[in-house]
Amino acid sequence: MIEFRGVSKTYPGSLHPVVNDLSFEILDGEICVLVGPSGCGKTTSMRMINRLIEPSEGEILIDGEPNTAMSGTKLRRHIGYAIQQIGLFPHRTIADNIATVPQLLDWDKIRIERRVDELLQLVGLDPAQYRGRYPAELSGGQQQRVGVARAMAADPPIMLMDEPFGAVDPITRNRLQDEFLRIQEEINKTIVFVTHDIDEAIKMGDKLAILKEGGVLAQYDTPEKILAAPNSEFVSSFVGADRVLKRLSLLRVSDMELDSTNGDGDDLPRISERTNLKDALSELIGAGAERGVVVSNGDGARGTLSIETIRRLSHQAEAEQRYE
Amino acid sequence: MSSLVASLALQNLGPKVLDWNWISRNFSHEIIPAIIGHIYLSFVSVTIALVISLPTGIIVSRYRKAYPPVTFITGLLFSIPSLAFFALLVTVPGVGLGPRAVIIALVAYSLLVLIRNVVAGMDSVPEETKDAARGMGLTSRQILFKVELPLALPVIVAGIRIATVTIIGIATIGAYISGGGLGELIFTGISRNFPTRIIVGAVLATLLAVLADLSLLAIERYLRPWARTRRT
Repeated sequence: MIEFRGVSKTYPGSLHPVVNDLSFEILDGEICVLVGPSGCGKTTSMRMINRLIEPSEGEILIDGEPNTAMSGTKLRRHIGYAIQQIGLFPHRTIADNIATVPQLLDWDKIRIERRVDELLQLVGLDPAQYRGRYPAELSGGQQQRVGVARAMAADPPIMLMDEPFGAVDPITRNRLQDEFLRIQEEINKTIVFVTHDIDEAIKMGDKLAILKEGGVLAQYDTPEKILAAPNSEFVSSFVGADRVLKRLSLLRVSDMELDSTNGDGDDLPRISERTNLKDALSELIGAGAERGVVVSNGDGARGTLSIETIRRLSHQAEAEQRYE
Repeated sequence: MSSLVASLALQNLGPKVLDWNWISRNFSHEIIPAIIGHIYLSFVSVTIALVISLPTGIIVSRYRKAYPPVTFITGLLFSIPSLAFFALLVTVPGVGLGPRAVIIALVAYSLLVLIRNVVAGMDSVPEETKDAARGMGLTSRQILFKVELPLALPVIVAGIRIATVTIIGIATIGAYISGGGLGELIFTGISRNFPTRIIVGAVLATLLAVLADLSLLAIERYLRPWARTRRT
Protein backbone atom coordinates (compact mmCIF):
# COMPACT_ATOMS: atom_id res chain seq x y z
CA MET A 1 0.00 0.00 0.00
CA ILE A 2 1.18 3.49 -0.82
CA GLU A 3 -0.02 6.24 1.46
CA PHE A 4 0.30 9.97 0.83
CA ARG A 5 0.14 11.90 4.11
CA GLY A 6 -0.23 15.65 3.78
CA VAL A 7 2.32 15.76 0.95
CA SER A 8 3.17 19.18 -0.49
CA LYS A 9 5.86 20.33 -2.82
CA THR A 10 6.92 23.91 -3.34
CA TYR A 11 9.99 24.61 -5.41
CA PRO A 12 12.51 27.07 -3.96
CA GLY A 13 11.86 30.59 -5.18
CA SER A 14 8.23 29.84 -5.96
CA LEU A 15 5.27 31.03 -3.95
CA HIS A 16 2.77 28.48 -5.18
CA PRO A 17 2.98 24.80 -4.39
CA VAL A 18 2.94 22.34 -7.30
CA VAL A 19 1.46 19.71 -5.03
CA ASN A 20 -0.76 20.85 -2.21
CA ASP A 21 -1.50 18.77 0.90
CA LEU A 22 -2.10 15.49 -0.86
CA SER A 23 -3.52 12.67 1.26
CA PHE A 24 -4.79 9.40 -0.14
CA GLU A 25 -4.08 5.69 -0.20
CA ILE A 26 -3.31 3.38 -3.09
CA LEU A 27 -4.27 -0.22 -2.37
CA ASP A 28 -2.16 -3.23 -3.31
CA GLY A 29 -2.84 -4.68 -6.73
CA GLU A 30 -4.71 -1.61 -7.94
CA ILE A 31 -4.01 0.69 -10.84
CA CYS A 32 -4.32 4.21 -9.50
CA VAL A 33 -4.38 6.81 -12.25
CA LEU A 34 -3.24 10.33 -11.45
CA VAL A 35 -5.03 12.47 -13.98
CA GLY A 36 -5.55 16.17 -14.53
CA PRO A 37 -4.71 19.10 -16.77
CA SER A 38 -1.08 20.10 -17.25
CA GLY A 39 0.38 21.84 -14.26
CA CYS A 40 -1.71 19.84 -11.80
CA GLY A 41 1.35 18.19 -10.25
CA LYS A 42 0.53 14.62 -11.29
CA THR A 43 4.04 13.77 -12.47
CA THR A 44 5.57 15.51 -9.47
CA SER A 45 3.34 13.47 -7.17
CA MET A 46 4.42 10.26 -8.88
CA ARG A 47 8.10 11.16 -8.76
CA MET A 48 7.91 11.77 -5.03
CA ILE A 49 7.00 8.10 -4.49
CA ASN A 50 10.43 6.89 -5.60
CA ARG A 51 12.09 10.08 -4.37
CA LEU A 52 13.21 11.46 -7.70
CA ILE A 53 11.67 14.53 -6.08
CA GLU A 54 11.61 15.06 -2.33
CA PRO A 55 8.43 16.55 -0.82
CA SER A 56 8.64 19.86 1.04
CA GLU A 57 6.07 18.70 3.56
CA GLY A 58 4.38 15.49 4.57
CA GLU A 59 5.49 11.95 3.93
CA ILE A 60 4.80 8.96 1.72
CA LEU A 61 4.51 5.54 3.32
CA ILE A 62 5.06 2.32 1.43
CA ASP A 63 3.64 -0.69 3.28
CA GLY A 64 3.59 1.44 6.44
CA GLU A 65 7.25 2.48 6.19
CA PRO A 66 8.27 6.01 5.21
CA ASN A 67 9.95 5.88 1.80
CA THR A 68 12.89 7.70 3.33
CA ALA A 69 13.74 4.57 5.38
CA MET A 70 16.24 3.46 2.74
CA SER A 71 18.49 5.30 0.29
CA GLY A 72 16.88 6.73 -2.82
CA THR A 73 18.82 4.46 -5.18
CA LYS A 74 17.96 1.31 -3.21
CA LEU A 75 14.30 2.34 -3.07
CA ARG A 76 14.20 2.97 -6.82
CA ARG A 77 15.62 -0.48 -7.61
CA HIS A 78 12.51 -1.96 -6.03
CA ILE A 79 10.00 0.24 -7.82
CA GLY A 80 9.42 -0.16 -11.54
CA TYR A 81 9.75 3.02 -13.61
CA ALA A 82 8.46 3.67 -17.12
CA ILE A 83 8.15 7.08 -18.80
CA GLN A 84 6.59 8.51 -21.92
CA GLN A 85 9.89 9.29 -23.64
CA ILE A 86 10.87 5.71 -22.75
CA GLY A 87 14.52 6.60 -22.18
CA LEU A 88 15.95 3.34 -23.44
CA PHE A 89 19.74 3.27 -23.41
CA PRO A 90 20.61 3.71 -27.10
CA HIS A 91 24.04 2.10 -26.66
CA ARG A 92 22.72 -1.07 -25.12
CA THR A 93 20.87 -3.94 -26.72
CA ILE A 94 17.24 -4.64 -25.92
CA ALA A 95 18.30 -7.52 -23.66
CA ASP A 96 20.77 -5.31 -21.78
CA ASN A 97 18.18 -2.56 -21.44
CA ILE A 98 15.69 -4.93 -19.87
CA ALA A 99 18.41 -6.42 -17.68
CA THR A 100 19.35 -3.05 -16.15
CA VAL A 101 17.80 -3.46 -12.71
CA PRO A 102 18.46 -7.22 -12.37
CA GLN A 103 22.12 -6.43 -13.11
CA LEU A 104 22.11 -3.72 -10.44
CA LEU A 105 20.66 -6.28 -8.04
CA ASP A 106 23.40 -8.77 -8.95
CA TRP A 107 21.22 -11.53 -10.32
CA ASP A 108 23.22 -14.32 -11.91
CA LYS A 109 23.58 -14.37 -15.67
CA ILE A 110 21.36 -17.33 -16.44
CA ARG A 111 18.53 -15.99 -14.31
CA ILE A 112 18.77 -12.63 -16.08
CA GLU A 113 18.74 -14.25 -19.53
CA ARG A 114 15.71 -16.31 -18.65
CA ARG A 115 13.91 -13.27 -17.24
CA VAL A 116 14.66 -11.16 -20.32
CA ASP A 117 13.22 -13.79 -22.66
CA GLU A 118 10.19 -14.25 -20.45
CA LEU A 119 9.51 -10.50 -20.45
CA LEU A 120 10.00 -10.10 -24.20
CA GLN A 121 7.50 -12.88 -24.69
CA LEU A 122 5.11 -11.22 -22.23
CA VAL A 123 5.13 -7.92 -24.14
CA GLY A 124 4.75 -9.70 -27.45
CA LEU A 125 8.26 -9.44 -28.92
CA ASP A 126 10.00 -12.57 -30.16
CA PRO A 127 13.10 -12.93 -27.94
CA ALA A 128 15.23 -14.60 -30.59
CA GLN A 129 14.55 -11.74 -32.98
CA TYR A 130 14.75 -8.74 -30.65
CA ARG A 131 17.14 -9.69 -27.84
CA GLY A 132 20.27 -8.50 -29.63
CA ARG A 133 18.89 -5.41 -31.35
CA TYR A 134 19.51 -1.81 -30.47
CA PRO A 135 16.63 0.55 -29.57
CA ALA A 136 17.06 2.58 -32.78
CA GLU A 137 16.15 -0.54 -34.75
CA LEU A 138 12.70 -0.74 -33.16
CA SER A 139 9.47 1.12 -33.95
CA GLY A 140 7.99 3.51 -31.39
CA GLY A 141 5.43 0.97 -30.24
CA GLN A 142 8.05 -1.73 -29.85
CA GLN A 143 10.22 0.64 -27.83
CA GLN A 144 7.30 1.37 -25.51
CA ARG A 145 6.86 -2.36 -24.96
CA VAL A 146 10.54 -2.70 -24.11
CA GLY A 147 10.23 0.27 -21.74
CA VAL A 148 7.40 -1.47 -19.89
CA ALA A 149 9.27 -4.78 -19.89
CA ARG A 150 12.31 -3.04 -18.43
CA ALA A 151 10.19 -1.53 -15.65
CA MET A 152 8.88 -5.00 -14.76
CA ALA A 153 12.27 -6.71 -14.98
CA ALA A 154 13.06 -7.26 -11.31
CA ASP A 155 9.41 -8.05 -10.55
CA PRO A 156 8.88 -4.97 -8.36
CA PRO A 157 5.65 -4.92 -6.33
CA ILE A 158 5.08 -1.28 -7.29
CA MET A 159 5.34 0.30 -10.73
CA LEU A 160 5.32 3.98 -11.65
CA MET A 161 4.23 4.74 -15.19
CA ASP A 162 4.24 8.28 -16.55
CA GLU A 163 2.20 8.31 -19.78
CA PRO A 164 3.89 5.07 -20.81
CA PHE A 165 1.81 4.81 -23.97
CA GLY A 166 1.87 8.50 -24.79
CA ALA A 167 4.36 8.55 -27.64
CA VAL A 168 2.55 6.27 -30.08
CA ASP A 169 -0.37 6.56 -32.49
CA PRO A 170 -3.90 6.01 -31.12
CA ILE A 171 -4.31 2.53 -32.61
CA THR A 172 -1.04 1.26 -31.16
CA ARG A 173 -1.83 2.98 -27.87
CA ASN A 174 -5.15 1.21 -27.66
CA ARG A 175 -3.49 -2.13 -28.28
CA LEU A 176 -0.75 -1.48 -25.74
CA GLN A 177 -3.37 -0.48 -23.16
CA ASP A 178 -5.33 -3.70 -23.74
CA GLU A 179 -2.18 -5.78 -23.58
CA PHE A 180 -1.09 -4.08 -20.40
CA LEU A 181 -4.44 -4.67 -18.72
CA ARG A 182 -4.16 -8.35 -19.69
CA ILE A 183 -0.62 -8.47 -18.23
CA GLN A 184 -1.78 -6.75 -15.06
CA GLU A 185 -4.37 -9.47 -14.52
CA GLU A 186 -1.47 -11.90 -14.31
CA ILE A 187 1.06 -9.84 -12.37
CA ASN A 188 -1.29 -7.90 -10.12
CA LYS A 189 1.07 -5.03 -9.34
CA THR A 190 0.36 -1.84 -7.47
CA ILE A 191 0.56 0.69 -10.26
CA VAL A 192 0.66 4.47 -10.21
CA PHE A 193 -0.21 5.62 -13.70
CA VAL A 194 0.01 9.23 -14.83
CA THR A 195 -1.91 10.57 -17.81
CA HIS A 196 -3.61 13.76 -18.95
CA ASP A 197 -6.08 11.77 -21.03
CA ILE A 198 -9.32 11.14 -19.14
CA ASP A 199 -10.33 8.34 -21.53
CA GLU A 200 -7.10 6.50 -20.87
CA ALA A 201 -7.57 7.11 -17.14
CA ILE A 202 -11.09 5.66 -17.17
CA LYS A 203 -9.93 2.67 -19.17
CA MET A 204 -6.85 1.85 -17.14
CA GLY A 205 -7.77 2.90 -13.62
CA ASP A 206 -9.20 0.93 -10.72
CA LYS A 207 -9.12 4.30 -8.98
CA LEU A 208 -8.77 7.80 -10.36
CA ALA A 209 -7.11 10.61 -8.49
CA ILE A 210 -8.24 13.75 -10.29
CA LEU A 211 -5.91 16.64 -9.61
CA LYS A 212 -6.53 20.26 -10.43
CA GLU A 213 -4.18 23.16 -10.93
CA GLY A 214 -1.99 23.91 -7.94
CA GLY A 215 -1.74 20.22 -7.13
CA VAL A 216 -4.99 19.88 -5.21
CA LEU A 217 -6.76 16.52 -5.12
CA ALA A 218 -10.21 17.21 -6.53
CA GLN A 219 -11.69 13.72 -6.28
CA TYR A 220 -10.44 10.23 -5.54
CA ASP A 221 -12.67 7.29 -6.33
CA THR A 222 -13.43 4.52 -8.80
CA PRO A 223 -14.08 5.65 -12.38
CA GLU A 224 -17.71 4.51 -12.07
CA LYS A 225 -18.34 6.64 -9.00
CA ILE A 226 -16.57 9.66 -10.42
CA LEU A 227 -18.50 9.49 -13.68
CA ALA A 228 -21.79 8.94 -11.88
CA ALA A 229 -21.21 11.58 -9.25
CA PRO A 230 -18.52 14.17 -9.94
CA ASN A 231 -18.12 16.14 -6.75
CA SER A 232 -17.46 19.53 -8.30
CA GLU A 233 -17.83 21.70 -11.35
CA PHE A 234 -14.14 21.10 -12.12
CA VAL A 235 -14.37 17.31 -12.08
CA SER A 236 -17.59 17.28 -14.03
CA SER A 237 -16.13 19.47 -16.78
CA PHE A 238 -12.83 17.56 -16.74
CA VAL A 239 -14.48 14.18 -17.26
CA GLY A 240 -16.52 15.71 -20.04
CA ALA A 241 -20.13 16.30 -21.00
CA ASP A 242 -20.34 12.73 -22.28
CA ARG A 243 -19.66 11.25 -18.87
CA VAL A 244 -22.93 9.33 -18.93
CA LEU A 245 -21.79 7.57 -22.09
CA LYS A 246 -18.28 7.10 -20.68
CA ARG A 247 -19.80 5.40 -17.69
CA LEU A 248 -21.80 3.10 -19.95
CA SER A 249 -18.56 2.11 -21.62
CA LEU A 250 -17.36 0.73 -18.28
CA LEU A 251 -20.31 -1.66 -17.97
CA ARG A 252 -20.68 -4.85 -19.96
CA VAL A 253 -23.90 -6.25 -21.33
CA SER A 254 -23.18 -9.42 -19.37
CA ASP A 255 -23.39 -7.41 -16.12
CA MET A 256 -27.00 -6.43 -16.84
CA GLU A 257 -30.21 -8.08 -15.84
CA LEU A 258 -31.80 -9.01 -19.11
CA ASP A 259 -35.45 -9.25 -20.10
CA SER A 260 -36.64 -12.64 -21.28
CA THR A 261 -36.83 -13.45 -24.96
CA ASN A 262 -40.42 -13.97 -25.93
CA GLY A 263 -39.48 -15.98 -28.97
CA ASP A 264 -39.82 -12.85 -31.06
CA GLY A 265 -36.09 -12.14 -31.43
CA ASP A 266 -35.68 -13.05 -35.07
CA ASP A 267 -35.88 -9.54 -36.47
CA LEU A 268 -33.99 -7.83 -33.63
CA PRO A 269 -30.32 -6.82 -33.78
CA ARG A 270 -27.90 -9.17 -32.02
CA ILE A 271 -25.53 -7.90 -29.36
CA SER A 272 -22.63 -9.91 -28.00
CA GLU A 273 -22.75 -10.11 -24.21
CA ARG A 274 -19.11 -9.03 -24.15
CA THR A 275 -19.71 -5.58 -25.65
CA ASN A 276 -19.96 -2.63 -23.32
CA LEU A 277 -23.20 -0.77 -22.80
CA LYS A 278 -22.08 2.27 -24.75
CA ASP A 279 -21.42 0.22 -27.87
CA ALA A 280 -24.62 -1.75 -27.31
CA LEU A 281 -26.58 1.48 -27.14
CA SER A 282 -24.92 2.71 -30.29
CA GLU A 283 -25.81 -0.52 -32.07
CA LEU A 284 -29.43 -0.31 -31.00
CA ILE A 285 -29.77 3.31 -32.10
CA GLY A 286 -28.02 2.51 -35.36
CA ALA A 287 -30.35 -0.41 -36.03
CA GLY A 288 -33.35 1.72 -35.20
CA ALA A 289 -34.53 -0.87 -32.69
CA GLU A 290 -35.86 -0.49 -29.16
CA ARG A 291 -34.49 -3.85 -28.09
CA GLY A 292 -31.72 -6.26 -29.05
CA VAL A 293 -31.07 -9.93 -28.48
CA VAL A 294 -28.07 -10.59 -26.29
CA VAL A 295 -26.08 -13.57 -27.46
CA SER A 296 -23.08 -15.34 -25.99
CA ASN A 297 -20.37 -16.59 -28.32
CA GLY A 298 -22.42 -15.77 -31.33
CA ASP A 299 -25.25 -18.24 -30.92
CA GLY A 300 -27.13 -18.87 -27.67
CA ALA A 301 -29.64 -16.09 -26.99
CA ARG A 302 -29.39 -15.00 -23.36
CA GLY A 303 -32.23 -12.51 -23.26
CA THR A 304 -33.01 -9.08 -24.58
CA LEU A 305 -31.71 -5.67 -23.67
CA SER A 306 -33.77 -2.54 -24.27
CA ILE A 307 -32.77 1.09 -24.66
CA GLU A 308 -35.19 1.78 -21.87
CA THR A 309 -33.15 -0.38 -19.45
CA ILE A 310 -29.97 1.55 -20.31
CA ARG A 311 -31.79 4.85 -19.97
CA ARG A 312 -33.14 3.91 -16.55
CA LEU A 313 -29.71 2.85 -15.39
CA SER A 314 -28.09 6.12 -16.43
CA HIS A 315 -30.90 8.23 -15.10
CA GLN A 316 -30.78 6.52 -11.71
CA ALA A 317 -27.12 7.35 -11.34
CA GLU A 318 -27.79 10.98 -12.23
CA ALA A 319 -30.66 11.13 -9.73
CA GLU A 320 -28.50 9.65 -6.99
CA GLN A 321 -25.94 12.30 -7.67
CA ARG A 322 -28.51 15.05 -7.26
CA TYR A 323 -29.67 13.79 -3.91
CA GLU A 324 -26.19 13.43 -2.51
CA MET B 1 64.15 2.53 -60.86
CA SER B 2 61.11 4.61 -60.22
CA SER B 3 63.17 7.04 -58.14
CA LEU B 4 65.28 7.75 -61.15
CA VAL B 5 62.24 8.42 -63.30
CA ALA B 6 60.84 10.75 -60.68
CA SER B 7 64.01 12.74 -60.27
CA LEU B 8 64.31 13.05 -64.05
CA ALA B 9 60.78 14.35 -64.23
CA LEU B 10 61.53 16.93 -61.57
CA GLN B 11 64.76 18.13 -63.12
CA ASN B 12 63.14 20.99 -64.99
CA LEU B 13 62.07 22.45 -61.63
CA GLY B 14 65.67 23.27 -60.91
CA PRO B 15 68.49 21.41 -59.28
CA LYS B 16 67.66 18.96 -56.53
CA VAL B 17 64.03 19.86 -55.91
CA LEU B 18 63.58 16.30 -54.76
CA ASP B 19 66.86 14.56 -54.17
CA TRP B 20 65.96 10.87 -53.89
CA ASN B 21 69.54 9.96 -53.06
CA TRP B 22 69.42 12.19 -50.02
CA ILE B 23 66.16 10.59 -48.95
CA SER B 24 67.48 7.04 -49.17
CA ARG B 25 70.79 7.99 -47.51
CA ASN B 26 69.16 9.77 -44.57
CA PHE B 27 66.01 7.70 -44.24
CA SER B 28 66.94 5.66 -41.18
CA HIS B 29 69.00 8.13 -39.18
CA GLU B 30 67.19 11.38 -39.90
CA ILE B 31 63.71 10.89 -41.39
CA ILE B 32 62.54 7.97 -39.20
CA PRO B 33 63.62 9.68 -35.96
CA ALA B 34 61.88 12.85 -37.11
CA ILE B 35 58.67 10.90 -37.68
CA ILE B 36 58.93 9.21 -34.29
CA GLY B 37 59.71 12.54 -32.63
CA HIS B 38 56.68 14.09 -34.26
CA ILE B 39 54.39 11.25 -33.21
CA TYR B 40 55.80 11.49 -29.69
CA LEU B 41 55.19 15.25 -29.45
CA SER B 42 51.63 14.96 -30.75
CA PHE B 43 50.68 11.86 -28.79
CA VAL B 44 52.01 13.12 -25.46
CA SER B 45 50.35 16.51 -25.98
CA VAL B 46 46.93 15.07 -26.88
CA THR B 47 47.10 12.62 -23.98
CA ILE B 48 47.94 15.31 -21.43
CA ALA B 49 45.32 17.62 -22.90
CA LEU B 50 42.74 14.84 -22.65
CA VAL B 51 43.62 14.13 -19.02
CA ILE B 52 42.95 17.80 -18.29
CA SER B 53 39.92 18.24 -20.54
CA LEU B 54 37.89 15.18 -19.61
CA PRO B 55 37.35 16.02 -15.92
CA THR B 56 37.16 19.74 -16.71
CA GLY B 57 34.53 19.14 -19.37
CA ILE B 58 32.48 16.86 -17.11
CA ILE B 59 32.59 19.36 -14.25
CA VAL B 60 31.77 22.27 -16.54
CA SER B 61 28.83 20.38 -18.06
CA ARG B 62 27.39 20.04 -14.53
CA TYR B 63 28.24 23.53 -13.23
CA ARG B 64 27.22 25.56 -16.21
CA LYS B 65 28.37 28.88 -14.72
CA ALA B 66 31.97 27.74 -15.08
CA TYR B 67 31.60 27.17 -18.83
CA PRO B 68 31.94 30.78 -20.12
CA PRO B 69 35.14 31.55 -18.17
CA VAL B 70 36.66 28.20 -19.17
CA THR B 71 35.85 28.83 -22.85
CA PHE B 72 37.22 32.35 -22.53
CA ILE B 73 40.56 31.25 -21.10
CA THR B 74 41.06 28.30 -23.44
CA GLY B 75 39.89 30.45 -26.36
CA LEU B 76 42.48 33.04 -25.43
CA LEU B 77 45.20 30.38 -25.35
CA PHE B 78 44.02 29.09 -28.71
CA SER B 79 44.27 32.53 -30.29
CA ILE B 80 47.94 33.15 -29.40
CA PRO B 81 50.04 32.91 -32.58
CA SER B 82 52.05 29.71 -32.30
CA LEU B 83 55.46 31.18 -33.03
CA ALA B 84 54.99 33.87 -30.38
CA PHE B 85 53.68 31.30 -27.91
CA PHE B 86 56.74 29.09 -28.37
CA ALA B 87 59.13 32.01 -28.09
CA LEU B 88 57.37 33.20 -24.96
CA LEU B 89 57.49 29.78 -23.30
CA VAL B 90 61.23 29.48 -23.88
CA THR B 91 61.77 32.47 -21.62
CA VAL B 92 59.82 30.89 -18.76
CA PRO B 93 62.20 29.57 -16.09
CA GLY B 94 62.20 25.77 -15.93
CA VAL B 95 60.88 25.42 -19.45
CA GLY B 96 63.52 26.68 -21.86
CA LEU B 97 64.28 25.34 -25.30
CA GLY B 98 63.24 21.83 -26.28
CA PRO B 99 60.24 19.49 -26.42
CA ARG B 100 58.90 20.56 -23.04
CA ALA B 101 57.96 24.03 -24.27
CA VAL B 102 56.43 22.54 -27.41
CA ILE B 103 54.29 20.09 -25.47
CA ILE B 104 53.02 22.81 -23.12
CA ALA B 105 51.97 24.94 -26.08
CA LEU B 106 50.34 22.03 -27.90
CA VAL B 107 48.39 21.06 -24.78
CA ALA B 108 47.22 24.65 -24.41
CA TYR B 109 46.05 24.69 -28.02
CA SER B 110 44.04 21.45 -27.67
CA LEU B 111 42.12 22.43 -24.54
CA LEU B 112 39.47 24.57 -26.24
CA VAL B 113 38.45 21.93 -28.77
CA LEU B 114 38.62 19.04 -26.34
CA ILE B 115 36.70 20.67 -23.49
CA ARG B 116 34.09 21.96 -25.91
CA ASN B 117 33.55 18.48 -27.32
CA VAL B 118 33.42 16.84 -23.89
CA VAL B 119 30.67 19.30 -22.93
CA ALA B 120 28.87 18.80 -26.27
CA GLY B 121 29.12 15.04 -25.79
CA MET B 122 27.66 15.22 -22.30
CA ASP B 123 24.92 17.53 -23.56
CA SER B 124 24.05 15.09 -26.33
CA VAL B 125 22.93 12.46 -23.82
CA PRO B 126 19.11 12.61 -23.92
CA GLU B 127 17.51 13.93 -20.74
CA GLU B 128 15.01 11.06 -20.67
CA THR B 129 17.80 8.49 -20.81
CA LYS B 130 19.34 10.00 -17.70
CA ASP B 131 15.93 10.25 -16.04
CA ALA B 132 15.18 6.59 -16.76
CA ALA B 133 18.59 5.62 -15.41
CA ARG B 134 18.00 7.54 -12.21
CA GLY B 135 14.46 6.24 -11.90
CA MET B 136 15.72 2.66 -12.07
CA GLY B 137 18.16 3.23 -9.23
CA LEU B 138 21.53 3.86 -10.88
CA THR B 139 23.81 6.01 -8.71
CA SER B 140 25.23 9.27 -10.12
CA ARG B 141 28.54 7.49 -10.62
CA GLN B 142 26.91 4.62 -12.50
CA ILE B 143 24.98 7.10 -14.63
CA LEU B 144 28.25 8.88 -15.52
CA PHE B 145 30.24 5.76 -16.38
CA LYS B 146 27.55 3.47 -17.76
CA VAL B 147 25.31 5.94 -19.54
CA GLU B 148 26.73 9.43 -20.06
CA LEU B 149 30.35 8.70 -20.98
CA PRO B 150 29.62 5.81 -23.37
CA LEU B 151 27.04 7.97 -25.14
CA ALA B 152 29.30 11.04 -25.15
CA LEU B 153 32.37 9.11 -26.31
CA PRO B 154 31.83 9.42 -30.08
CA VAL B 155 31.56 13.21 -29.77
CA ILE B 156 34.62 13.29 -27.52
CA VAL B 157 36.58 11.20 -30.02
CA ALA B 158 35.48 13.60 -32.76
CA GLY B 159 37.10 16.35 -30.66
CA ILE B 160 40.25 14.28 -30.28
CA ARG B 161 40.36 13.99 -34.08
CA ILE B 162 40.27 17.74 -34.59
CA ALA B 163 42.77 18.38 -31.80
CA THR B 164 45.18 15.73 -33.13
CA VAL B 165 45.13 17.03 -36.67
CA THR B 166 45.64 20.60 -35.45
CA ILE B 167 48.47 19.56 -33.15
CA ILE B 168 50.31 17.54 -35.80
CA GLY B 169 50.31 20.68 -37.93
CA ILE B 170 51.40 23.12 -35.23
CA ALA B 171 54.04 20.70 -33.89
CA THR B 172 56.16 21.31 -37.02
CA ILE B 173 56.73 24.89 -35.82
CA GLY B 174 58.03 23.48 -32.53
CA ALA B 175 61.29 22.68 -34.27
CA TYR B 176 62.00 26.41 -34.18
CA ILE B 177 62.65 26.04 -30.46
CA SER B 178 64.42 22.68 -30.83
CA GLY B 179 61.37 20.58 -30.12
CA GLY B 180 62.30 17.96 -32.71
CA GLY B 181 59.93 16.26 -35.09
CA LEU B 182 59.30 16.75 -38.78
CA GLY B 183 59.57 20.52 -38.43
CA GLU B 184 63.28 20.10 -38.00
CA LEU B 185 63.54 18.80 -41.58
CA ILE B 186 61.60 21.78 -42.81
CA PHE B 187 63.57 24.42 -40.89
CA THR B 188 66.99 23.06 -41.83
CA GLY B 189 65.76 22.75 -45.40
CA ILE B 190 64.89 26.45 -45.38
CA SER B 191 68.14 27.58 -43.79
CA ARG B 192 70.28 25.42 -46.10
CA ASN B 193 68.15 26.16 -49.15
CA PHE B 194 67.58 22.44 -49.65
CA PRO B 195 63.99 21.87 -50.92
CA THR B 196 64.05 18.06 -50.52
CA ARG B 197 64.04 18.37 -46.72
CA ILE B 198 61.15 20.82 -46.85
CA ILE B 199 59.07 18.62 -49.14
CA VAL B 200 59.77 15.44 -47.16
CA GLY B 201 58.93 17.15 -43.88
CA ALA B 202 55.74 18.71 -45.22
CA VAL B 203 54.51 15.59 -47.00
CA LEU B 204 55.16 13.35 -44.01
CA ALA B 205 53.48 15.79 -41.59
CA THR B 206 50.43 15.89 -43.84
CA LEU B 207 50.43 12.12 -44.22
CA LEU B 208 50.66 11.71 -40.46
CA ALA B 209 47.70 14.04 -39.94
CA VAL B 210 45.60 12.20 -42.51
CA LEU B 211 46.45 8.80 -41.04
CA ALA B 212 45.67 9.95 -37.50
CA ASP B 213 42.39 11.40 -38.70
CA LEU B 214 41.36 8.21 -40.49
CA SER B 215 42.25 5.88 -37.64
CA LEU B 216 40.40 8.07 -35.12
CA LEU B 217 37.44 8.14 -37.47
CA ALA B 218 37.50 4.34 -37.51
CA ILE B 219 37.53 4.33 -33.70
CA GLU B 220 34.66 6.81 -33.63
CA ARG B 221 32.58 4.50 -35.86
CA TYR B 222 33.51 1.44 -33.85
CA LEU B 223 32.39 3.16 -30.66
CA ARG B 224 28.79 3.42 -31.74
CA PRO B 225 27.57 0.12 -33.06
CA TRP B 226 24.08 1.16 -31.96
CA ALA B 227 23.88 3.89 -34.59
CA ARG B 228 23.26 1.42 -37.39
CA THR B 229 19.54 1.10 -37.91
CA ARG B 230 17.91 -1.93 -39.38
CA ARG B 231 14.24 -1.19 -39.31
CA THR B 232 11.94 -3.93 -40.44
